[in-house]
Amino acid sequence: MTDLATPTPSAAPKVIPVGRTRVIGYITAGLGLFVLLAFGLGSSGNAHSVLTFTPVNTSTNAPWSIGALTVLTRYWNMAAGLIAIAIGVHMIVRRPAKGAMVRFGVAAILFLFALLLWAGRDPGPSQGLHVNLTSILIGSSALAMVLIYGALSGIMCERAGVVNIAIEGQFIGGAFFGSVIASTTNNFLLATLAGAVAGALLGLVLAFLSLRYLSDQIIVGVVLVTMMSSLSSYLNLQVLSPYPNLNTGNLASNIAIPLLYKIPIIGPVFFNQSGFFYFMIVLVSLISFGLFKTRWGLRVRAVGEHPKAAESVGINVIRTRYINVVLGVAIAGVGGVAFMASQGAFQVGYTSGLGYVALAALIFGRWRPSGAVSAGVLFGISAYLALNLQTYNIPISTEILGMFPYLITIAVVAGLVGRVRPPAADGQPYKRD
Amino acid sequence: MTENMADVLAQADPGSPVERRSLWTRFSSKSPVVLALLALVLGFLIGALVIIFSTNTVLDAWRGIFSSWGAPGHALKVTFDNVGAAYRAMFTGSVFDPSQFWHSIATGKQWDNTLTPLSETLTYATPLIIASIAVGIAFQTGIFNIGANGQAIMGGIAGASIGSMINMPAIVHIPLTLAAGIVGGMVAGSIPGFLKAYTGAHEVIVTLMLNYVIAFFLVFVLLSTPFQLPGQSNDISRTMHSSAQLAPLFGAASGLRVSYGIFIAAAVVYFAWWFLERSSLGFDFRITGNNPNAARASGINARRVIVVVFLISGGLAGLAGVVQVSSTTHYVDGNFLIGSAGIGFTAITVALLGRNRPMGIVWGSLLFAALGVGGRNMQAATGIPLDLATIIQSVVVLFVATPVLVKEIFRLRSSSAQGIQLATKGWGS
Amino acid sequence: MRIELRGITKRFGSFTANDRIDLVVEPGEIHCLLGENGAGKSTLMNVIFGQLQPEEGEIVIDGETIKFANSGEAVRRGIGMVHQHFMLVPVFSVAENVVLGFEPTKSFDRLDRKKAADEIRRVSKEYGLEVNPDAVIEELPVGLQQRVEILKALSQDAELLILDEPTAVLTPQEIEALMAIMRSLAKAGKSILFITHKLKEVRAVGDVITVIRQGRVVGSVPPTTSEAELATMMVGRDVKLTVTKEAAAPGDEVLEIRDLVVRDDRGLAVVNGVTLNVRAGEIMALAGVQGNGQTELVEALAGMRRIESGTITVRGRDVTNNKPREMLDEGLGHIPEDRQRNGLVLSMSVADNLVLNTPRRAPFARRGTRNLDAVEQNARQQVKDFDIRTTSTRELVSSLSGGNQQKVIVARELSRPLAFLVASQPTRGLDVGSIEYVHRQIVNQRNEGLGVLIVSSELDEVFALGDRIAVMHEGRITGVVDATTSRETIGLMMAGASSQSAHD
Repeated sequence: MTDLATPTPSAAPKVIPVGRTRVIGYITAGLGLFVLLAFGLGSSGNAHSVLTFTPVNTSTNAPWSIGALTVLTRYWNMAAGLIAIAIGVHMIVRRPAKGAMVRFGVAAILFLFALLLWAGRDPGPSQGLHVNLTSILIGSSALAMVLIYGALSGIMCERAGVVNIAIEGQFIGGAFFGSVIASTTNNFLLATLAGAVAGALLGLVLAFLSLRYLSDQIIVGVVLVTMMSSLSSYLNLQVLSPYPNLNTGNLASNIAIPLLYKIPIIGPVFFNQSGFFYFMIVLVSLISFGLFKTRWGLRVRAVGEHPKAAESVGINVIRTRYINVVLGVAIAGVGGVAFMASQGAFQVGYTSGLGYVALAALIFGRWRPSGAVSAGVLFGISAYLALNLQTYNIPISTEILGMFPYLITIAVVAGLVGRVRPPAADGQPYKRD
Repeated sequence: MTENMADVLAQADPGSPVERRSLWTRFSSKSPVVLALLALVLGFLIGALVIIFSTNTVLDAWRGIFSSWGAPGHALKVTFDNVGAAYRAMFTGSVFDPSQFWHSIATGKQWDNTLTPLSETLTYATPLIIASIAVGIAFQTGIFNIGANGQAIMGGIAGASIGSMINMPAIVHIPLTLAAGIVGGMVAGSIPGFLKAYTGAHEVIVTLMLNYVIAFFLVFVLLSTPFQLPGQSNDISRTMHSSAQLAPLFGAASGLRVSYGIFIAAAVVYFAWWFLERSSLGFDFRITGNNPNAARASGINARRVIVVVFLISGGLAGLAGVVQVSSTTHYVDGNFLIGSAGIGFTAITVALLGRNRPMGIVWGSLLFAALGVGGRNMQAATGIPLDLATIIQSVVVLFVATPVLVKEIFRLRSSSAQGIQLATKGWGS
Repeated sequence: MRIELRGITKRFGSFTANDRIDLVVEPGEIHCLLGENGAGKSTLMNVIFGQLQPEEGEIVIDGETIKFANSGEAVRRGIGMVHQHFMLVPVFSVAENVVLGFEPTKSFDRLDRKKAADEIRRVSKEYGLEVNPDAVIEELPVGLQQRVEILKALSQDAELLILDEPTAVLTPQEIEALMAIMRSLAKAGKSILFITHKLKEVRAVGDVITVIRQGRVVGSVPPTTSEAELATMMVGRDVKLTVTKEAAAPGDEVLEIRDLVVRDDRGLAVVNGVTLNVRAGEIMALAGVQGNGQTELVEALAGMRRIESGTITVRGRDVTNNKPREMLDEGLGHIPEDRQRNGLVLSMSVADNLVLNTPRRAPFARRGTRNLDAVEQNARQQVKDFDIRTTSTRELVSSLSGGNQQKVIVARELSRPLAFLVASQPTRGLDVGSIEYVHRQIVNQRNEGLGVLIVSSELDEVFALGDRIAVMHEGRITGVVDATTSRETIGLMMAGASSQSAHD
């Protein structure tokens, strides 16, 4: 048999534009320089910070304890700054083709760590308040969990080619109905179900308008958020206010996993959490496995990348998208319930843009569940610190701290879009010819 | 198929009832105004449903529907009473109150009371028109500026500062205050502009996040000298000098708040029309919005266009903010343009409703301003929350963004699936 | 497999794309479907492949009447298709693409990647189509991607293989190899439906040639039919395949490209040291298979792509890395390859499109304000001069036919003072009348002393227009020859041979 006598151009090596790696390198190095100057040299030479690892307010009464760790603030922070600078310089000079985001993430974690040491330094404004790492991680994990739910929702939709920018609105819907059901039945399983159903219905609206009527997905998303926030505000005044027992705000109790929760430091963070946390982990594994290992995932990704090719081998593009959007938005609804279950009674506007941050986490995580987890953790810690750093009496106003998570989101999006590649057909209406 | 059949029949047999319907369909499927009106009808219908399902007396009446022969009628009556009362309050609060009107006609007095609703609607519409033009111009260029609200806040802060902290004659002070507002908005708008132009960051996320950042910034500024009202611990700014205020059109004694700001809005509308239809730069913008590739090939500098669009859009949004301040409260506080007062968000819906065309935006602004003002009256009169107005607005826009759905609901012939002239693409662009 | 189409009719609204088409493909037969762009070939293929449902008529396979609801059913019935625009997911591996839709699985719906790879190796071996199952599609050259498309069809046990314009992206040598594969597949009993608009190819490979025109079958003829006869059948009248043109009288050099290096979006140097010049009053035709850097070269000339190294000189002025605006001001006329993407704004009027890149030039605007009267007047003039068929100058360009859309661009570019003209695939997808017209206009400009660079992957066009012919392969110019050079030589040069070795 004849072979195609191709004068073959040597198979194109995969080249990523290097410009952005350098930009991210500069940002990383800048971050490191800031750590070095502000948190390192900005702490007096004799200052020290105390790190503790025993969660406060723990009801489990851990039988273990790790002593406090006292560190010299200035030198630890200088080290952190230097490491970040080194990472940045390496990216500027060597321009590695992969892992720019991971490197940036490491530098960001170093930044947050140094910030904590600096905030808790003694002598300093906090007068030696201990930095309780475990408590901080526990507090952050609640926010990270919600962000991951949101990002997973986005992954489900966008891997199939539908942009879901309305995660914020879906959080609101889930939180509202979750709170009502949780308050009336005191059953978080039912509340979760209610949130999922509310989400699924919202997903159906998004899918219906963008798939059947080819409406602009971003406009529909933005309007859906407006609608959900006004609807929730309306119902809050009309229904929840007159009947406060519909919105009592009971928090989901933690389920300690025997033995494991006793592991120092990470035990209380990972193994003494509410059911929503464990469910999130199950979802991450399921979606990760499903997308990249199964027939279902291959087809979903084909639909999101090249719907015509999928259609040409008999895959029903529209149906796949419907299913994914409805399931995906249901996940965001559950995320809303999870938020409610960790923050308390529904209040108007209390998701404060978390849904959009989740969207940024999705981009930062390159449309992968594992990436969404890393991004969710990073953003979760930043958001938590923005809310809680004030306890250290640091000389930065609450308002400026509050801007932080949003500014980081902007920085991430500005640094990364163009580098990361969304599913090729993401957001594009599809019509069979 | 059947629709086409109807047309064929109509042509064959003029004067048959089919023809009238055909005329009607032809008229309506081509007219965006009719589409918007139909969407409005749907919006009010869904609003009515929301009222019904959230009002106890109505639900009780329906629950008792099988209790007696008169019950269904009673339930209907209760429903109509409640929904009717809400929408009546909306109307009387935003347009005019007939009884008050006749009273004025009969006695020749209390014209101020009669005209107050209209005046309020115009007062609310004035900055809304400007903000919506800001969003609309960006839309025409293919750019989705969701940050108009934050830009308007920045404009308000800048305007309130210039208006309250320096003293000069009104002839200089008012323009200077307005200019400060424009600059404030431009500063906020330049951030997403530059980021999109030079890093490719998607403007939707950046502007959304900036709205939150600016909301924090607002409180931060209002709590720090020299912006904070001296002797106050609340987040409130100094009051603008009267030389910087946009005076009420009919004098302060009239009690009507509608101000000279409407002339500014009119000027902005004219500017927008000229810019989009007649100016070379606007032509560039429209080419970019409709086909960025062709724009590039035609020698249009895409980056420059993006930055300039955001400067113009942000500047106009800032102008909206300062007009809002200097014609109503004359000071800025922590609730400025927050929540349901966020004209920057309403502006997005108005721009979509008005199809980004200046005159469409004027009508859309008047309509949504009336909904907002009327909603406040409804809340006062019937206790139904003002948010209902926002719900109706978003439903209207969802339908306007999905013209085919509206046509299907009203069984109109669907000419083609023409969406809104806007292409927000995925994350790459 | 024997497939028979009986009276297939397919309409889109009021437009009839296929009108009562009858066609029979016997087992082991290579059946060519010949027709112009827009004759309805692709529509017919999509009907056979189940992607479109016909309004009338039936498809009979081995005596059984079949109705396909979607292409998956067609594939299951033994029909395979190699699309003109490959139906391959660029980020997937070869194996993933081949099994997509028919994936072998293990428990829990898991993909059985090993089984998939084995299957591919088996089919590759059987038909001699070597390809690495783990390679990622977007990293493969076009020829190999096409091979994957064929594999994909064969691995579903296709008995009828539809090849939709498969040669557009191949070099003459690759085309030869493809034809060899087609013949051997036919010998193995597969039926092949080969769609093309190239006369030489159908005569070289076909057993039967069916010509369609404007959605109707004109007739079926044997491959011995002459090219002229086939052409007449295709377009419905006698056509001149060449433009009559006088000998060129070249003047000074207007455009000089020296050692140009340009990278594509992926960062590869797809233009890799191109040196080329164009003189006033001559047409330089740049031949080459698509995707050998022509697109990027033209983009660099238009100022739309950054130049890594090398220089471009226009009338002695260095214009390297000028911005698009500056290039237009230097007198660049540009008829872009993808007119709807780069040349027109479909949602704007004919009048506006006629001033798309000169909106600020007097008299169309003064001090930032457009003069709409002048724009309108210009439009009326151009519509008249260039015979643009439109109901009004206010008509949206999207409602014009392809030929008239191209005329809008040609009118716009040729009506302003130019230093040189770059025309990229200027007649792609046009009907014969429009092709003649566009060619005539270009030759007229050249006669009046304009330097012209034509980029075309159609050899016929290259020979019809070129005074000199440059051939591009893998980012380099393999040679510049005069227009009397033989097709075979040019073909070899398109495959990478230098002009000397190609002559030998």
